[in-house]
Amino acid sequence: MKTKTFVLILVLLVSSLLLAGCAKGLTPSSWPGVVTDGETAYIASATHIYAVSLEDGSEVWRFPEKADAKKSFFAAPVLTPDGQLIVGGYDHILYSLKPQNGQVNWQFEAARDRWIGSVLVANDLIYAPNADYNLYVLNLRGQLQWKFEARQALWSAPVTDGQRIYLGSLDHTLYALEPHASKIIWKKSLGGAILNPPLMGGDGLLYVSTFGGDTFALETANGGQRWKFAADNLVWSTGALKAGDLYFGDAQGNIYALNASTGVKDWSLQPNGPILGAPLIVGDILVFGTESGDLFAVDAHGKNVWTQTIGGMLYGPPVAGGDLILVAPVEGQSLLVALDQTGTQKWAFTPVK
Amino acid sequence: MWDTLIVTPLTNVLLWIYQIFGGNFGLAIILFTLLIRLVTHPLTAQQIKSSQAMQEMQKSKKWQDMQKKHKGDKEKLAQEQMKLYKELGVSPFGSCLPTFIQIPIIFGLYQSITLALAASPLQLLTLTRSVYSILDATALLPLNSRFLWMNLGQPERIFLPFLGDFGLPLLAIIVALTTYLQSKLTMPPPANPGDQSAMMGKMMVIYMPFLLGYFALTFASGLSIYFIASNLAGILQYALMGKVDWRNLLPASMKGVVKSK
Repeated sequence: MKTKTFVLILVLLVSSLLLAGCAKGLTPSSWPGVVTDGETAYIASATHIYAVSLEDGSEVWRFPEKADAKKSFFAAPVLTPDGQLIVGGYDHILYSLKPQNGQVNWQFEAARDRWIGSVLVANDLIYAPNADYNLYVLNLRGQLQWKFEARQALWSAPVTDGQRIYLGSLDHTLYALEPHASKIIWKKSLGGAILNPPLMGGDGLLYVSTFGGDTFALETANGGQRWKFAADNLVWSTGALKAGDLYFGDAQGNIYALNASTGVKDWSLQPNGPILGAPLIVGDILVFGTESGDLFAVDAHGKNVWTQTIGGMLYGPPVAGGDLILVAPVEGQSLLVALDQTGTQKWAFTPVK
Repeated sequence: MWDTLIVTPLTNVLLWIYQIFGGNFGLAIILFTLLIRLVTHPLTAQQIKSSQAMQEMQKSKKWQDMQKKHKGDKEKLAQEQMKLYKELGVSPFGSCLPTFIQIPIIFGLYQSITLALAASPLQLLTLTRSVYSILDATALLPLNSRFLWMNLGQPERIFLPFLGDFGLPLLAIIVALTTYLQSKLTMPPPANPGDQSAMMGKMMVIYMPFLLGYFALTFASGLSIYFIASNLAGILQYALMGKVDWRNLLPASMKGVVKSK
């Protein structure tokens, strides 16, 4: 009898442990990506791309119309000058959609892994980073022109100053590439994975942060290091530039303001939770999203202007949509929340199932 | 609680092995599997011993007589069986309890490999928070998921020129094959070949290779590496204890020939 009781207790204990373990599989694998054209917001969130009117938060269309377990989207879509919406999926397919109705123009299926980062559209080309280590360069009709292979996955969009393409990789290296050929101009190892796009400065510098918590200012001409700043924890996003200062957050919840020319810290503060996304600059304020679900607005001196609780976890950056501030929380009550510049909520979009 | 007790410690051991062996995640999975096999060896040994004792008991005349005698009275039969267990010192749970204790470890192993692969931003964030401070997460993460021709975070396919766009799932085939070999080589001959448990055993030998082969076809190839390493280690483990019957690989008609020689 004692043995039976012991086994029964053991069965219950192990079953509950296993159930707890299995339940973890239901969490999303990334956070929504958002882009706007001033009238409509396009949100990549799990099974769909949603087009939402900025006027009232109503749904305009969704792609695909019916959820498909094999398709999921998290990379922020990108609008091209010739009127396409480019977005990559976790199904390894890069889609070109019509922004008006979500119909497919073309799809590129040669990649072997997920599209985690957004694309860069420049020089009439689409520079598309894939987790299969390749940067695929396509023309605007979706035809492959050439590709460049890094030593690890590519999770972030490249940036350009017109002369070079700057591409960060999980292989800890920042690559400066020829815009019209698969050729490295220079590369620099930064000691940690690069998870987000570098940030172009206007003075021959570019800024890039690493998983190791370091932020670098590099010369665009040759990759020479101007300065380096070590944050207290990992830095997911390089941040935003405003009036000669670089603003970013770290996974410990610190906000830093650095002199962009020297890398010297002007100030730092710690609101309430890890910060992964870049801040949004709205007039004179900077708006940060925190993992605790708060939007935290500060002025250029680090003084809190307003705080608004959104709920869920704010991992992605706040995005400007006309006069609105848009945020897409993970596991929040709504998929997209719009606020005015004083932090007052205007509308929230929750997709109908 | 599940993460703290099972997944996080296993993940950190996996990352530690990865760090020591030069950042080769495929090799780390193989060594990790062998280490887990080694740690759980006493349980496996006890399971083999208990199931063998149980089988011998079920073959005994006393057991057979008891089955016949109390065929219509299940309660009485159970009482008599318990008496016999006590008399012969055989625990009815001896063969299944060690397996049962190993189940959380096996589940945890799957989850720790999946977690360590961190194929998306939120998974990487979760992994970052799971790494103990004695490991240098900055230098280690994200892991290099390439091993031989495979991306361990993706299902494996080989593209050969003469196959066009068809990707050959070589690893899934090896998983199915090694699973079949392990089941066939390590499954003891049934005490009563016609009974329900013997039939179930036969079905398992057929279904398990298909099931694990399907998993290998669908899930990240890092898990397939684990399946293969675990199957081969299992065969080796049984072989070292003298419990592998190589004749099980022969067709039934040839077994008698080999035996008579």
